[in-house]
Amino acid sequence: MSEKIFAWLLHLFPSRFRKAYGEEALQLVRDRCRDEKGFFSRLRLWLDLLGDLALSVPRAYFPVQPELTGYLAHLRSGSGPAFLVLEEESLGPGALFFGGLLTLAAVVSFSVLLNHRVKHVPLSALIRPAPGSADHRSSSFSPRTPEQARDSQVGAIAPATGQQRERAVSSSGPESSKANDAQSNGLTRPGGSGPRKVQSGQRLCSANAALAGANLNRAERQRVVRGAAANLEKHYIDPVVAQKMANALLEHEKNGDDDAATDSSAFAELLTQQMRDVSHDKHLEVLYSEAPLPRRPPAPTPPFQARYRKAMEQANCTFEPVQTLPHNIGYLKLDSFPDVSVCQHTAEAAMASLNHADAVIFDLRDNRGGSPGMVMLISAYLFDHPEYMYNPRENTTEESWTRSPVPGSRLADKPVFVLTSGRTFSGAEHFSYDLKMLKRATIVGETTGGATDVGTFHRLDDHFGMGIRETRAINPYAEPDWAGIGVEPDVKVKAADAPQMAVRLAESKLQKK
Amino acid sequence: MPKRKLIPLPSAAFQILLALAGEDLHGYGIMRQVAEQTRDRMRLGPGTLYSSIQTLLDAKLIEETEPREDAKLGHERRRYYRLTSAGRKLARLEAERLADLLRLARAKKILRGEYV
Repeated sequence: MSEKIFAWLLHLFPSRFRKAYGEEALQLVRDRCRDEKGFFSRLRLWLDLLGDLALSVPRAYFPVQPELTGYLAHLRSGSGPAFLVLEEESLGPGALFFGGLLTLAAVVSFSVLLNHRVKHVPLSALIRPAPGSADHRSSSFSPRTPEQARDSQVGAIAPATGQQRERAVSSSGPESSKANDAQSNGLTRPGGSGPRKVQSGQRLCSANAALAGANLNRAERQRVVRGAAANLEKHYIDPVVAQKMANALLEHEKNGDDDAATDSSAFAELLTQQMRDVSHDKHLEVLYSEAPLPRRPPAPTPPFQARYRKAMEQANCTFEPVQTLPHNIGYLKLDSFPDVSVCQHTAEAAMASLNHADAVIFDLRDNRGGSPGMVMLISAYLFDHPEYMYNPRENTTEESWTRSPVPGSRLADKPVFVLTSGRTFSGAEHFSYDLKMLKRATIVGETTGGATDVGTFHRLDDHFGMGIRETRAINPYAEPDWAGIGVEPDVKVKAADAPQMAVRLAESKLQKK
Repeated sequence: MPKRKLIPLPSAAFQILLALAGEDLHGYGIMRQVAEQTRDRMRLGPGTLYSSIQTLLDAKLIEETEPREDAKLGHERRRYYRLTSAGRKLARLEAERLADLLRLARAKKILRGEYV
């Protein structure tokens, strides 16, 4: 067998070599085969043969190396001009034939490989599970401005909070890598078992730059529009408005209004605008995801709760130590609203440390949001009677009222200041918005991020989905909530200057007393 | 067949010359002798072996003798190769060159005395 293969491989050598030594080479292989038996000896024999082929075949064809020594000697003798003829040899027909055969094989296999459809898996999907999924509770969609979009990154996962009721919660928007990102605000599914969150916004929409190639044809657009219309009719809280929006979407599609939008994310924004033109509902949008949306939410990961708990313990639940500033102003920097089930004691301890203060500053400039339960828990200290805290993402229930007064709390009548920045997001906006509207706190800093938190995410196809709010919370205020626009501060200063400004305001307020 | 130059002497060619210094050998015999004298570090494959032989023949450093049988290996007639006086001289020159290198290495304390 080895001999036959080698006889065939011998054709790789030039014909002259084969003529002169082919038989002998074959005999050598025959001799070795006879003398070297056993698996390893045979393996070694083949390694030798292949290594030898790799080295000697190219050398056999290598351009002739002139024998220059004689030539140099000739020059040195000084006998006038000399010419050197380099010996050349053209390739034999057999070598050409085999060379051609190999080339053909290489070209054929290359083109077969090229046509072979290999499933494209984005790198990010390998690193962590792809975000977004079919119909399930989700939250936190995109910030609206490109600036915020740029600021944003990928989503974390929400913890499973067993005792939490089903809800569509606010979620943190853009993330930093700190523990607070692993926060609860994401979505908790019914039963509280499945930690996961659709961090769609940042990644789904408005990532225009990266999507240059993601072009759409008419059939795809039609499919998305029909899917969106069907989902509206099925899920939107107001069936009359839903019908109007569905009709508008289909009408626009029919009239060719969407034809210009060949870019996927632009198309998603166009549909969002078309729906909002009818309903003026900012909690409604169509989203595009470059990464394919999974058909089903990923399986729950039981250790998540433990991991979340550990991360929170390490980060002191993102509560930074309470500071007492001159004039007995209490200062608490809070980088998220962590889950109540894990962080209740930490939160209570922090609030207890603030209890002595004559004024309180909550620094939410780096707060990306969190659990509404924590928002309610902290707010409760600031009132002497139950207060309604409007949250567009939840139905109004008795949980929408603060459990005030908190026994022992002396903060109910103290001035409160909330520091905000453009990166204050979601749950932190919930806190800021309500305290502002209730005139319980003075908001100092920048307009907040404007997290558009949509209740339920519905998958339209592999790349398009839509968020529809299914809750019907009553906004008691004349102004719209923060969705898409953010919370406007009472005192507008740069985020970096906000602490100083708040301290000054607090001092003057305390002096007036 | 392309000619290959022998300056500097390729190690395969030098080993073949050394293998033939003792007795005349056929191709497989050379291969075995080279493997033996290099403690199995160099096992010449047929391509390298016969192209080196061709080069050495062209340079008249070795020559072919009358084909004959090798009693240990069966009845095939095999070509035997013999070292020429030019080949022996070249091998000696090469060995001296290497010995010079060895002396140099030893002077630079790269090698200790126990190596020949």
